[in-house]
Amino acid sequence: MTDIRISNVSRSFGSVVAVDNISLEIKAGEFFTLLGPSGCGKTTLLRMIAGFAELDGGQISIGGKRIDTLAPHRRNIGMVFQNYAIFPTLTVAGNVGYGLKARKVASADIAKRVGEALALVRLQGYGERWPHQLSGGQLQRVAIARALVIRPEVLLLDEPLSNLDARLRVDMRGEIRDLQQRLKITTVYVTHDQEEALAVSQRIAVMQTGQIEQLGAPREIYRRPVSLFAAQFLGMTNLLPGIVEGRQGGGARVRVGAVDLVIADAAARQGEAVTLCLRPEALRILAASDALLTEEVRLEGTVRHAEFIGALIRLDVELAGGTLLKVAVLDDPHSRATPGSRIVLAYDPARLTIFRAACP
Amino acid sequence: MTSFTVAPLLRLPLVIAAFAFLFLGLFLIYPLWGVLSASVLAADGTSFTLEHYGKVLAKIYYRASLINTLTIGLLATLITTLIAIPLALTVARLDFPGKLLLIALAALPLVLPSFVGAYALLLLLGRAGIVTQTLNAWGVPFGSIYGTPGIVTVYALTLYPYVLLPTLAGFKAIDASVEEAAQNLGSSRLRTIWTVTLPIIIPSILSGALLVFIETIENFGVPAVLAEDKPILAVEAYKLFIGETATNPSAASVLGTLLICLTATVLVVQRRYLANRRFATRAGVPAPTIKAGGSWRIIGVIYCWAVVLLALVPFFAIVVLSFMEFRGPVLQSAFSLKNYTELFATAGGPLRNTLMFASLAALATVLIGTPIGWVLTRRRSVWVSLLDVTATLPFAIAGTVLAIGLVIAFNSGAIVLTGGWLILVLAYTVRKLPFTVRTSSAILHQIDPSLEEASISLGVSPLFTFLRLVVPLMLGGIISGAVLTWVTVASELSSTVVLYSGPWRTLTIVMFQALEGTGAGLAVAAASILIAVSLIPVLLAYRLLRRYELSML
Repeated sequence: MTDIRISNVSRSFGSVVAVDNISLEIKAGEFFTLLGPSGCGKTTLLRMIAGFAELDGGQISIGGKRIDTLAPHRRNIGMVFQNYAIFPTLTVAGNVGYGLKARKVASADIAKRVGEALALVRLQGYGERWPHQLSGGQLQRVAIARALVIRPEVLLLDEPLSNLDARLRVDMRGEIRDLQQRLKITTVYVTHDQEEALAVSQRIAVMQTGQIEQLGAPREIYRRPVSLFAAQFLGMTNLLPGIVEGRQGGGARVRVGAVDLVIADAAARQGEAVTLCLRPEALRILAASDALLTEEVRLEGTVRHAEFIGALIRLDVELAGGTLLKVAVLDDPHSRATPGSRIVLAYDPARLTIFRAACP
Repeated sequence: MTSFTVAPLLRLPLVIAAFAFLFLGLFLIYPLWGVLSASVLAADGTSFTLEHYGKVLAKIYYRASLINTLTIGLLATLITTLIAIPLALTVARLDFPGKLLLIALAALPLVLPSFVGAYALLLLLGRAGIVTQTLNAWGVPFGSIYGTPGIVTVYALTLYPYVLLPTLAGFKAIDASVEEAAQNLGSSRLRTIWTVTLPIIIPSILSGALLVFIETIENFGVPAVLAEDKPILAVEAYKLFIGETATNPSAASVLGTLLICLTATVLVVQRRYLANRRFATRAGVPAPTIKAGGSWRIIGVIYCWAVVLLALVPFFAIVVLSFMEFRGPVLQSAFSLKNYTELFATAGGPLRNTLMFASLAALATVLIGTPIGWVLTRRRSVWVSLLDVTATLPFAIAGTVLAIGLVIAFNSGAIVLTGGWLILVLAYTVRKLPFTVRTSSAILHQIDPSLEEASISLGVSPLFTFLRLVVPLMLGGIISGAVLTWVTVASELSSTVVLYSGPWRTLTIVMFQALEGTGAGLAVAAASILIAVSLIPVLLAYRLLRRYELSML
């Protein structure tokens, strides 16, 4: 059970700042994810912990011990690479036992621990196979077993699922999550896939241009993004530019195009330019028979486009004044939300986030 | 940062680079500096002068050597390219039986000693040549092959693979969709090749062509055999330096410096040009072979086989001739093993020397070149670029010039190497180093760096990761690099001829001396042994490498 403490860490490549003075504390036993678009510095930060990227400044400690000055092969960190990095010249057992051999573990112990590690990733009996005989998912499991068998203090995963096909990716992320929960090993996970990050992590750091944009639990950062970037990067959203018209009840009215939206924000000042962030699934279609809940607000619009993607139907609804609103509703065979039809929408103002900045 | 520390992962590359700079500094830069300074220092040895340049260039003879070298180089490059492009196109796009054999045979001239080819041409078409005599007896007039025609012919026949192989690779690296897109837009197949395919592979063609140009400029053996009275830079530098009557090191250094400038310019042009032109398409599906019909197909196949076989005829002829009896230079129509018995009686030492030097040089280039190749592929930095340039430099240095430099540098002073065998092995090692560096970088580019990182993160130090993980992964490339070094060293003449001494003659020297004397029988036997020495390891390694590849994945 080891925590990771990253303090004031920076790294630039030429004029590009990859990691810009980041400080971060990852708790012992935590499943922590660095999430961001490519080039945001998440992989560099992970490679700094592993020892493959040098620090221009700052410190990294694991379990209270400073490790950034330590050679990478002395850090006792398990790492799983994006392309698995399985040694093609060794069998599965050879791969998994590689780190134990380097630690001069007795060969009987190696065999026993390799067997246990393979059982852990459900690859019992695969020890004598060669890497080229395995599928991508199996190779990924070998890579995980190889990283765990050395009993590392922390486990680092660098986009481990990006080379797998979509369905396997969903299965594997569940497996990785279960394994981490069982072993309670401090884990840092790097991904650019927001859904994956939301599904597996206890906490997520959303990164952009070398800095942490937002840090928090998955639900928190999805529902309460603190910046326009975080709002846009995690899932789909409506970003609506508007002007505060005046107060209404405990909140305020905001003019967006030719309609007024009600928000729950108490601090909004009249005349202020704001951007509203409203998730598509926070809107629901109000059928004629449905009653508006007390906290809800009505909106009317015309369906311009409907996209059926299975479980969901994504709608583009045009409000008065031409503002387009993305709406996501569960598939409903009785839905009358076909292109051209008028519909009534309802939303809860509490689910609306307000940014005091103009829309980018 | 408060204190200066070397990042842990940087230590091994720095140690390797330091050693590489030391080695190349001592045995490449220092000797070249010797050549350069000998060309610009006055007789007192301290003051700067351009007098030597003035003297040498004032003579029509030496000016002619410069012009001849360039003319022959350009002609040979042009002809080689014109031969190789249709050949590459046919092989890449036409399916015909025996294609794999054809490709294997087409690569052979690369490992066969070009001056043996020159000698074969001399025996067949020279003044006293077999074909010439026959033709004359029939009353057919036959022109002289001495000078430009003969030299260019030999170059074209032995160097065309330098253009063929990269062009072929270029044709194969083009994704089929690029050509399909052109045809879908209404371009005919021939027009597509002309307007889409060829422009994409021009960098490949040019990189091969420039290689040919450099080879021709620095080649010593071919002009030594065929030039007769025509002055050629590399040969004249040698004559001035070794000189039967009076040696003139400063004049030799002037020609040597000119030679370096020529090849270095070409190399710089090549790198500059290619650095900005990578037209590689994302190779997914290679373009399919064309189902060409009827006459085109026949013409193409005949052309391919004609070129490939014609290039091998001289070597075949040498082997046949080696089993025939010579009386002095005159061929008798009787088969015998006399040439070989004579060769082994007199030249057992040279054969042993050749094998020993080639083995030592192959070992040394692997030991020095593989780590350099690793540093060049895995690190980006100013000193890495400098190492890259330094390790590629020998490529632009004619063997004769490097050898002259080595003699100037190690003839006296703290380290004396002249007169021994070590100086030969050092010259070979330096000359062939770029080759091993290139092959090992090429294979390292295919090995994912994260394999090394995985090994390190599992607790194996960078040094042992390199030795136990990277080296085994590179083994195929290392072996093929070593074999090719071995083979080319065995037939090296240009620096050997300057550096050899009494007991350290090689097979190539035996041939060279036999050429000047009258021992044609000895020369063909030595040439045949050289051919065998060049071919056998390549054929062995060919099978070994294929088996290795199969067991790998």
